[in-house]
Amino acid sequence: MSDSLSRRSFLSLAGGTAVALAGLGLVGCGGSSSSDASASDSSAKTLSGTVNCSGATSFQPLVEAAAKKFEDENPDVTIAITGGGSGQGLSDVRDGKAQIGRSDVFAEEKLDASDAQALTDNTVCVVGMGPIVNSNVDVDDLTTEQLKGIFTGQITDWSEVGGTAGKIQVIERKAGSGTRATFEAAVLGGDKAPDSFAPVAEEDSSGTVVEKIQQTEGAISYLAFSYFDDTKFKALKVDGVEATADNVCNGTFKIWAYEHMYTKDADEVTQAFIDYMMSDEVQGSMVEEQGFIPASDMKVKKDASGAITNA
Amino acid sequence: MAKRLMPKKQLEGVGLTLTGACVLFVALVVVTLIFMVAQQGLSAFFVDGINFFSFLTGTSWVPSDGVYGALPLIVTSFGVMLLATLFTLPIALGSAIFVVEVQPGFGRRIFQPLVELLMGIPSVVYGLIGLTVVNAAMRAIFGDAAGTGAGILSGGIVLAVMILPTVTTLSIDGLAAVPREYREGSYALGCTRWQTVWHVVLKSAMPSLMTAVILGMTRAFGEALAVQMVIGGVEKVMPAGLLSPAATLTTALTSGFSNATTGSVQYHALWALGLLLMAMSLLFILIIHLIGAKGAKNRG
Repeated sequence: MSDSLSRRSFLSLAGGTAVALAGLGLVGCGGSSSSDASASDSSAKTLSGTVNCSGATSFQPLVEAAAKKFEDENPDVTIAITGGGSGQGLSDVRDGKAQIGRSDVFAEEKLDASDAQALTDNTVCVVGMGPIVNSNVDVDDLTTEQLKGIFTGQITDWSEVGGTAGKIQVIERKAGSGTRATFEAAVLGGDKAPDSFAPVAEEDSSGTVVEKIQQTEGAISYLAFSYFDDTKFKALKVDGVEATADNVCNGTFKIWAYEHMYTKDADEVTQAFIDYMMSDEVQGSMVEEQGFIPASDMKVKKDASGAITNA
Repeated sequence: MAKRLMPKKQLEGVGLTLTGACVLFVALVVVTLIFMVAQQGLSAFFVDGINFFSFLTGTSWVPSDGVYGALPLIVTSFGVMLLATLFTLPIALGSAIFVVEVQPGFGRRIFQPLVELLMGIPSVVYGLIGLTVVNAAMRAIFGDAAGTGAGILSGGIVLAVMILPTVTTLSIDGLAAVPREYREGSYALGCTRWQTVWHVVLKSAMPSLMTAVILGMTRAFGEALAVQMVIGGVEKVMPAGLLSPAATLTTALTSGFSNATTGSVQYHALWALGLLLMAMSLLFILIIHLIGAKGAKNRG
């Protein structure tokens, strides 16, 4: 009796495990989304389908806000927004894993020339970035030359740039971050920091930079305008020019980058969403609410090599 | 007596098939994983032509410039792991002795549940605490030399707290498993409690204690999230001291992946880091098995 019972309970245990495994497999399959547009019952003009959009997290909140409105207007459309960084976004759109790849940098900088050429660049908006310091630093304005000195390790004390003596603690973003690439392109002007120069931290996200700059005496770093907060840290002027959206638009403030949404042979739904991103509805208010600058306001433009020309 | 669902022999067969399938599944997952990491990681050397020797000995890791020297990452990984073990071991061992030898009732009812609670805290919470408390403490103690407070020492401290429950729990189990007769024999010979603990209990529990330590080290070596938040993440230079900001193999991996495009050299180099990590943990597991085998042999 007890023998048969234990065997049966053993069997049910083994069976249960197998069922659980099978269930896992099923869930795994169900999770993947299909992107083909299923025909809806109403008129042929109704948009439907799924758009996968992955990549840079810097302007993800903007895209999410826009996607929500777009989905409200087109109930049969699902826009799946995931993060992963610019590199991921570009490889996803190249490999067809996502219809839209978000990036802070030009595709040419990350992909092979032929791959980059196959992509369509949609510059949704512009993001301005500026140097920031700990609130206790008594310097308000730095020249590009001074910034370069600080971020290459030649200037190490605040007294060298007109402040009270104290060690300059340089906080960088990780190499490969779009924010860092933009800042270095504008400030270092093609030069590189020497190998021997090590910052006190290389942060993975802008959020941690905000945290560290508040905590660290004498710290300097850089952030996108959307993170600026006078109560937490101080934004510096560069060459006497204040870090504002207007100054970016008229070309006097030089540290800025495009936020790209790359597509590859966009289908109808994808194109409709991109068009929506470029429409007045998004460009008119939403972009500025999120701390970005509408691309249409720009009086200057930048190409992949960083050259700035009048628009 | 309940009726059998099927003949006894058939039942055996079904059981064998189901359990066998589970075993096969696990084996398949392990083999596939190792194969995949090895294939991707090795292509950094064989397809992209990174020199294996300079990969291991190069002192600068700047993937965006094509500079792949993993030595700073390796050194930091071992550094934080050893520091964490150094901080944790005396505390874990001390509390294990207290709980098993001095106050078993308190240990079972209060201390062990407390430690298990510590084990259940997600690593990101440890990271947050480290970011606000440990880093601030480093700045307060060492001033400008500590930079933002992020560095190897901060990483070691946070990891020490994280592996404390693992090492403590396993040490308690190890000490508790020492037969009572050993202690009684020791007392019968006139040894004091201290002499008994030191010469008899700890000595015979040595293999389990070693296993506890190495499992703790494995966890410290493989932890990414919490370390990433407190260590500073500087990959391009060799760490100069305990206060230097640095990056471990795991943090370089997690932060590098968001910027790497699939199939690029950088991508493969990151997989190679993964391969290195996997090789290290295989080594740790091998050591645990060797210790286990030796312990079994010693006890006869």
